[in-house]
Amino acid sequence: MPGYAHPEVLVSTAWVAEHRDDPRVRIVESDEDRGLYTMGHVPGAVEIDWQVDLQDPLQRDYIDRAAFERLCAARGIANDTTVVLYGDKNNWWACYTFWVFKLYGHADCRIMDGGRKRWELDGRPWSTDRVSPPAARYTASEQDGSIRALRDEVLRHVKAGRQLLDVRSPEEYRGERMHMPDYPNEGAVRGGHIPGAVNVPWARACNDDGTFKSVRDLEKLYLREVKLKRRSPTIAYCRIGERSSLTWFVLTYLLGFANVKNYDGSWLEWGNAVRVPIAKGEHPGGVGQPAAVGGSPDGQS
Amino acid sequence: MADEAAVTGGTAGDSVAERLARIADEFADLDSRDKLELLVEYAASLPPLPAAYAARRGDSRVHECQTPVFLWPEVIDGRAGLVAEVAPEAPTVKGFVAVLAEAVAGRPAAEAAALDDTFIDRTGLTDVLGILRSRGLRAILARVRKSLLAAGAG
Repeated sequence: MPGYAHPEVLVSTAWVAEHRDDPRVRIVESDEDRGLYTMGHVPGAVEIDWQVDLQDPLQRDYIDRAAFERLCAARGIANDTTVVLYGDKNNWWACYTFWVFKLYGHADCRIMDGGRKRWELDGRPWSTDRVSPPAARYTASEQDGSIRALRDEVLRHVKAGRQLLDVRSPEEYRGERMHMPDYPNEGAVRGGHIPGAVNVPWARACNDDGTFKSVRDLEKLYLREVKLKRRSPTIAYCRIGERSSLTWFVLTYLLGFANVKNYDGSWLEWGNAVRVPIAKGEHPGGVGQPAAVGGSPDGQS
Repeated sequence: MADEAAVTGGTAGDSVAERLARIADEFADLDSRDKLELLVEYAASLPPLPAAYAARRGDSRVHECQTPVFLWPEVIDGRAGLVAEVAPEAPTVKGFVAVLAEAVAGRPAAEAAALDDTFIDRTGLTDVLGILRSRGLRAILARVRKSLLAAGAG
């Protein structure tokens, strides 16, 4: 995989097949639909579900440090384990789980390039065996604030005119709809985007077989098409922070951006928050450009 | 109101409410992994979409749902039925739709009133699927209930 900034974070299906019995490696599947793992998973893989396992059931947040430690221990993941993540939908949820592992400071995380789709296309076997790895000991770090942006920080970032990337569909970005095409509206009361954000829908980073695009194609997309700069602090967001965790992965590990944060509150928070600026239409707008911000219902469309 | 006695033949005689209670108990007794396996088994039991329906997917889409779900709740000669198509990448949704199809098949449409939200809670599936996914299942349940009750009354 020539040219990626951190090529070691991507592994092939062949690598996973070779390492499935390696006690230093834990293969983890994360899917949109949990039935997929149930119907067949990579032999030896455990499942971590983004909703049931990673979300705090009470507060709107990720599970806390102690709960993350219990989760890892139960899945047979120790601090020095190589965690290889894969899943459905271009590894979208695998990247989300990857991001949470990095949030708690796990050292060695990889993505199986192409996920379930590539495993299937390569004709590799699926297993329905129950996987119960021996329990491990795990000590998590405090949350790493360098990869997570909360609302107040996003607001400061907007006011400073720093680079923002909206990875939702163009219809959501323009404010014509408040959810993904074909997905439910999960309750945002305003449509549009965060002023100053450019729009690159997340799935454009992936090929049809679920693998990531080449570094040349990714540079064309992010550096030339929307003119992001590698060294500028960047915040990516979507609707609930899932799609943008894939984009965070691409910018950080494949393109070598120096400072990327995922705003997991995303549009579900921003589109409901009181008195935060919103831009509508196809142009990024900005807080210094009143024609594009909230209060002007027509925006620039 | 459809006549109970009209439901005869090979169709099980128990009501929609009784069938739902039986299915909810079946799920409730299982651990998470077994619940998912049972849902996947139900998914496999959903028959392929008859060709006649494929041409009219238009307004049968459940928009609240995360994956393409098409439902045709029908009442023919007073008896309820549920024809459906769910994308294969959503086996748990497909399994839930198959559960509903089994619950209503051949029963008087008015019995669809038993399809209330508490069914999902009684199965314990919210703990396994999470809040967001369960919301999609509630939308499906509500759509089937309303359509069958409306068709039965019409």
